[in-house]
Amino acid sequence: MPTISDREKRLIRYSAIGITIYLALFFIWRPLQRRRAEYRQLVTEAQDLRNKILPYATRAETVQALMEKFQFDPAQLDKATVVGEASAALQKAAMSSGIQVGPVRESPSRSSGKELASVQFEGVGPVPAVMSLLQRIETLGFPLIIDSVQITPEKTGPGRVKMNLTIVILDFEQWKKEDKSRA
Amino acid sequence: MNSPGIYLEITRTSLKALHDDNGLEVPLERAPNGRLTDPAKQKVAASLQEFLASTPRQSHSRAYCAIDARGVSLRRLTLPSVGKEEFQKLLRMQIESEFPLSPDELAWGYRSLGETRVNGAARQELLVIAVKKEVIDEYTAIVSGCGLNPEFTLAAMARRGVLPAFESNFAILEIGSESSEWISFEQNFPTQIRTLALAEKQLSKTENFAAISRTLNGSASAKKWFIAASDADFNAVSIGLTESFGHGVDCEPLKTNVGPGRSTAILGLKKSIESGEPKLIFFESQAPVEKRKLSSPAPKKWAVIATALLIGLVLLPYAEALLLRPLLAKKLTSLKKDQGRLAIIDQELGFLQQLKQSQPPYLDSLYLFAKSAPSGAKIESLTMNRKGDVSLRGTLRNADQVAEFRNKLIASGFFSSVTVEDQSPTPDKQKLNVRISAQWKPANVLQTLKIGPTAEEIEKAKNKKDVPPMGMPGGLPPGFSGGAMPPGAMPAGLPPGVRISSPRIERKP
Repeated sequence: MPTISDREKRLIRYSAIGITIYLALFFIWRPLQRRRAEYRQLVTEAQDLRNKILPYATRAETVQALMEKFQFDPAQLDKATVVGEASAALQKAAMSSGIQVGPVRESPSRSSGKELASVQFEGVGPVPAVMSLLQRIETLGFPLIIDSVQITPEKTGPGRVKMNLTIVILDFEQWKKEDKSRA
Repeated sequence: MNSPGIYLEITRTSLKALHDDNGLEVPLERAPNGRLTDPAKQKVAASLQEFLASTPRQSHSRAYCAIDARGVSLRRLTLPSVGKEEFQKLLRMQIESEFPLSPDELAWGYRSLGETRVNGAARQELLVIAVKKEVIDEYTAIVSGCGLNPEFTLAAMARRGVLPAFESNFAILEIGSESSEWISFEQNFPTQIRTLALAEKQLSKTENFAAISRTLNGSASAKKWFIAASDADFNAVSIGLTESFGHGVDCEPLKTNVGPGRSTAILGLKKSIESGEPKLIFFESQAPVEKRKLSSPAPKKWAVIATALLIGLVLLPYAEALLLRPLLAKKLTSLKKDQGRLAIIDQELGFLQQLKQSQPPYLDSLYLFAKSAPSGAKIESLTMNRKGDVSLRGTLRNADQVAEFRNKLIASGFFSSVTVEDQSPTPDKQKLNVRISAQWKPANVLQTLKIGPTAEEIEKAKNKKDVPPMGMPGGLPPGFSGGAMPPGAMPAGLPPGVRISSPRIERKP
């Protein structure tokens, strides 16, 4: 077997080191770099998402407060039954306030607005009861807005007034659609 | 095959060197104190350099140096088995107690002979050799000066290398020109070493052998003696030893190829080194101080830690990417799935805010009418809608009251316009029928107003609780009285400039 000189040995040693470094870079370092780049991209995405979500903490609190004020969650409203339930709740509230409930008429919604239906409500009762009902309507647990109020004296008894309310029920589904189209 | 280094033997009288097949022998001149004279040092250095120049070799080759046994002490020590660092401390303490000089003044080396157990406690047997440091330093300076890295051992121990494996006890006696060296081995480990006053020229005198017998004083248990000497000298030694020790000693010649640089010690040293398992003890080298510092356990340990930390620092981001990426990806996917809920929150918020802003301030308006109506006024009908249109029909006493009523409504700041559309006398000419229309201000303006009863008014209302309800001031329909407002039904806000601490509902901007 031919003898290998020191120079050749050194050459072989350096070549082996060089090849090892190249292989390490190629098979280990580059995949590692790629993984790290992917990870950094994920981190950036996560930060963007975090920045996007951050304001929603306040918004969620506001929504919670408003839901507590109005006593309902818009997402839980069932469009099919909300009108009937709202009408029933309105009559119940009027009676519990001491108002003698008169005719109640429901009208279909106006297509241009975001209203589901409107309810005409007539009742007779003492002034405090009328005031109380006006106050309680917004916390009945439905998206109700009093469109108009008419108060006239009732001649059947002293201290009693006749009230005529037009109440509209808002349509959350319609609102969502318009919100999406705006977005 | 090239040998791994250069082999030297430094005796009292000469320095021998061997590199491959080239040999060198330089006589040494010493001062009375045993140290080399300066001319001798220069001569040795020059000869060695010349010798090295003539032989092909790598720079800073290792030089294995065998020194004579003069001044060298050999001890067997026993230490408890402890950790590496503790072991070094214990060994130094033991050397300090066993040798006349401190470990710092000695060049010393050791070899483990194995572990034994005494009463259950593990103990380590060590063989330690030591010589004055200055002896080694002197040789080191010369050899290092020639570009070599010297390592020192004992020539007497090195001679063992030329012998084949030999298990029983034996001794080696090397006859020198001025003195002889004797070393005994038990189970292949040296037990005693002596420099004997037996020169080549004194072998004929039997009293010299008797003196050797007295010197060894029966401590020589080895029956087999290998004699390193010329054939003639071997016969003389063999006869002399037989006479002095009786038939208890079996002498055998230790034959080696003689020539320049080919002493028994050098050949034994070379054989031991080349075999790869030298059963030798080397003195701690003095020259490469930096090397010792670097190779000492503590810096090495810290260097390893520092390197590990550095590697960790470089690899940490990649490890983070490898380990956390799946978790982050999973979390991100679930978050993206839930992103749809954000739109629902937006929709709900918009809807609820719209609902809140669309609530018309009917109660505020009623409160203002009740408060502004003059005494004796009577409201026949009141109509309001969420667009802010207000229509009121009623009777007032006279035109002044009409003006006063209108002025109060305007002054409340709640209405953007108040119009008396019609005022005509009643048939009995006592009062005026009026028809008033008004318009609320925009919702954002109304939100800034403070409308509501004052603290006094609330107190008054409380006091009137037990009083039977009366008509509204000035003839409002019975039950329209401010005092009859239901608790909690009072609209938010107070008239401008009024502050109360009593319960009231405030409108949030």
